[in-house]
Amino acid sequence: MSTLTIATLMGLYYWFARLRLGYTFSGMLLQPVVIAVFVGLITGQMEAAMIVGAGIQLVYLGVTSTPGGNVPSDPALAACIALPIAVKTGMDANLAIALAIPFGVIGVFVDQLRRTINAAWVHMADKHAERCDTAGILRCAFLWPALMGFVIRFPVVFAANYFGQSVVEQFLAFMPRWLTHSFEIMGGILPALGFAITIMVIGKKTLIPYFVAGFFAVLYLKVDIMAVAIFGTCIAFLIRGFGKSEEA
Amino acid sequence: MNTTVTPAQAVPEAQHGPLLAKSDITRAWMIYYLGAEVSNSYERLQSLVFCASMTPVLKKLYPNKAEQAEALKRHLNFFNTEGVMGGVIQGVAIAMEEQKTRGEPISESSIIGIKTGLMGALAGVGDSIIWAALMPLLIALFIPFAAKGSALGGIAPLVLYTGITIAISYALCHKGYQLGKESIITLLQGGRIKELIYGANVLGLIMMGALAASYVKLTTPLKFSFLHGSEVVVQQVLDSIVPGLLPLAAVFAIYLYMLKKGPRYTVILLSVVAFSVICSITGIL
Repeated sequence: MSTLTIATLMGLYYWFARLRLGYTFSGMLLQPVVIAVFVGLITGQMEAAMIVGAGIQLVYLGVTSTPGGNVPSDPALAACIALPIAVKTGMDANLAIALAIPFGVIGVFVDQLRRTINAAWVHMADKHAERCDTAGILRCAFLWPALMGFVIRFPVVFAANYFGQSVVEQFLAFMPRWLTHSFEIMGGILPALGFAITIMVIGKKTLIPYFVAGFFAVLYLKVDIMAVAIFGTCIAFLIRGFGKSEEA
Repeated sequence: MNTTVTPAQAVPEAQHGPLLAKSDITRAWMIYYLGAEVSNSYERLQSLVFCASMTPVLKKLYPNKAEQAEALKRHLNFFNTEGVMGGVIQGVAIAMEEQKTRGEPISESSIIGIKTGLMGALAGVGDSIIWAALMPLLIALFIPFAAKGSALGGIAPLVLYTGITIAISYALCHKGYQLGKESIITLLQGGRIKELIYGANVLGLIMMGALAASYVKLTTPLKFSFLHGSEVVVQQVLDSIVPGLLPLAAVFAIYLYMLKKGPRYTVILLSVVAFSVICSITGIL
């Protein structure tokens, strides 16, 4: 597909996923591994897209939604821009992560803008309620935020994808060795941030030994993730009684 | 309350409110599930979607326009919770509105009070189970597929997470409607919910540890040569003590920073970038 088509489709995807239609469904649409499936479909390079998607996902693993729905970083904007460009230019996952990060930060401001503007629809709904205009209330809850979202979401992703590829290609051609190696190091460390955030979000210091146990189970016992999940579930059931004495 | 009503002394229709069908509750739940975050604003967060989700129910319960307007307005009050667990609150609110139209002494402030009373507790439970445990768990489970280039790594979490959470929130909304507020409060204070969160957290941490071991990659190329010709490769020494020491240190360094300074995501990202560049130039990593 042409760059124009891909840029348009990615813009539409980002708009739709960030619309948050379907509370948990859209929550998952925003995750880099899921975006990677879409990128794989439209570029025809599923394998490359999934590998890069997994790399970006690890950085943002714990970044779901914090209390009050404020996003600390926007994995979806990062992935919607970095993934297609990485796949098209044949970048490796570490470089793609480095490319993704700045966009993840910008995404936070875009969401703040959205939630500020959304206040207008609540005031409109106040007036509809006075007149018992239930259809009007539904429009305020769905239609207006959706149209507004298109205006603020689509252009960012479209423009970055449309103009980004050639810029990135030129940049890659001139990249010095020390910088490439910096990105390799960064790509190795950043998943640590994803795990640290998840430990933080879970928020129980007394449970940290379980993290260490999982870590060394893989290194010493050489078990794979699915096996860890099975044994982990058994352990979780066996010790659940302890939860009673813990504060939630 | 079985008073026989003769046509002459007919009670106003509003006080006899028609019974809600199961499909009415399902419709309300569906609007809330679909739109929980769509209209989220800094001013009143989820109040708009909550009111919108109550519209099919309120239209049926309050044919009288003045009463309907009052009811709509009271559900535009500040509201915010976690959208999956929040289904319970919706069920309870619908049940209370229905009882109110049947003439039971339920005041406007008690409906608002129950909603605001439950929303904090349920947001806490929902955030820690649905978002902090279930979501990273499902993604983590299929990350190895994604890392090998399989689309299953993205499709499986999407389907499973959506399916599981829809089932939970649908069931909770109907349960909330049937059981009413008392049982919800008992449920929240009971031990089972705490057990569930505890178990989910244990599993979550084990999984995160396992993934960290596979995906955080940090090794040092440092070598020290001594005068008499022998060479010490730092990474080999580290591995002979405990494998994975550097990756584990990276996770805990970031974790401890966040414990002290709060989750300053951007600061940490920029620090990692700077750290990587410095270590690359100096050849430490």
